[in-house]
Amino acid sequence: MVNRSPVRLSPSADVTDGALVARAAGGDERALGLLYDRYGAVLYAVAYRVVGGRADAEEVVVDAFAQVWRDAPRFEAGRGSVAGWLTTIARSRALDLVRARSRRERAVGAAGAAADRQDAPPAMGDLLADPAASLDQDERRRQVRRALDGLSPSQRQAIELAYFEGLSQSEIAERLQQPLGTVKTRVRLGMEKLREALRPFYFERGT
Amino acid sequence: MTGPERESPRDLAAAYALGALPPDEVRRFEAFLTTSPEARREVAEYREVAALLALGGTEAAPDGALRERVLARVGQEQQRDGTGAEPGRSAVAQARPSRAAWIALVASLLLAVGLCASLISARGRLGAMASELRAREALLAGTRQQLSARQAMLDALLEPGVEMFQLTAHGDPEPGIQLFWNRGRHLAVVHGFRLKPIPGGKAYQLWFIRDGVPVPSVTFRPASDGTASIERVPVPEGGVLTAAAVTVEPEAGSSRPTTPIVLTGTLERS
Repeated sequence: MVNRSPVRLSPSADVTDGALVARAAGGDERALGLLYDRYGAVLYAVAYRVVGGRADAEEVVVDAFAQVWRDAPRFEAGRGSVAGWLTTIARSRALDLVRARSRRERAVGAAGAAADRQDAPPAMGDLLADPAASLDQDERRRQVRRALDGLSPSQRQAIELAYFEGLSQSEIAERLQQPLGTVKTRVRLGMEKLREALRPFYFERGT
Repeated sequence: MTGPERESPRDLAAAYALGALPPDEVRRFEAFLTTSPEARREVAEYREVAALLALGGTEAAPDGALRERVLARVGQEQQRDGTGAEPGRSAVAQARPSRAAWIALVASLLLAVGLCASLISARGRLGAMASELRAREALLAGTRQQLSARQAMLDALLEPGVEMFQLTAHGDPEPGIQLFWNRGRHLAVVHGFRLKPIPGGKAYQLWFIRDGVPVPSVTFRPASDGTASIERVPVPEGGVLTAAAVTVEPEAGSSRPTTPIVLTGTLERS
């Protein structure tokens, strides 16, 4: 069973994400632990949405942080936030896993492969190890849901197919039997709406 | 301002940040990005939006043990790198040495020469300790894996709606199989006990009898104590499942039974 520590203020709350990446780049494993405390649950959520199973999502998170560790010396703060970088890595690893699985399933046939996907539901309610991050996350989650509810169903569908299934706009058009131009417009307008709604809630803690 | 393909950066930035551009368009857009700070800002902002999308789905939280797994993996990475001195990492970790640092370095080297003999023997001891530590870590990792497998099986067995069926051998009270069937997930956990040992190259194979026809399922070999546990066995969907049976087959499994049934039991509710 998981022991839950009592909620307390995190001594790391003032350290920026960028500083933690720099420390990790210098070989400081504790810094990577703190990044996990801040964003482990977010990366897990990305991975879970893409791969659809707990065991696979956990594997993706482990692989993603291993890559973060290796690539930390090459992180460029000017290209975006640490959170954006981390989630991009987790999404790529998760899509890699899904594509590899799909290739494997095609190779060996469908028998037995379904077991990989039919996994236990995600564990619920474990607090993030960094309580400040947990409080931020709850508010963000509410705002993201509200913003997504503000999209038309077709805009939301196009954006989610792109992000969580890794489909290009042409592939989305093919999947939905819609003209490519229509899909492009849905993606663009949907993302613009999300940007307006979510601007105050970006993960950025300062790099 | 116009970008590649007569689409404005705004048109492409969102799709690029979502990963929704095909590779050739990505290359063209990235070339364009190098010339446009405005487009780079747009992309950076849309990446923030994309990063938030994960929070819009089902609330999913990782298990508390995942942090340890992440850090253990990072520890392995560091060990693989030797001292963690992977090229990029060392470039960041070590600033350009100052004059004072050079003097300190030379002094350290001189000291190191003096201590060389004792270091050699210490190194031997350290090497032995490191091997022992690695052995213990491997043991711990194995135990953790077993624990987590047990936990997963327990979770599967305790889910509501799981039904248990018994497979028995005709005229032999000893061996048996319990099949825990989760109809909602079309999965089963199979636990065999007092199973008789079977020759090398052979395995027990489970069959689901659907509409009177055997559907091949998993193969397994019993442990030395006669037990076998298989989790997440897919149960065929569609049709009517009336029974399950076990035969002895080649280890790779057969598409239809080639030997007489050794264990069988109904899958219908009494």
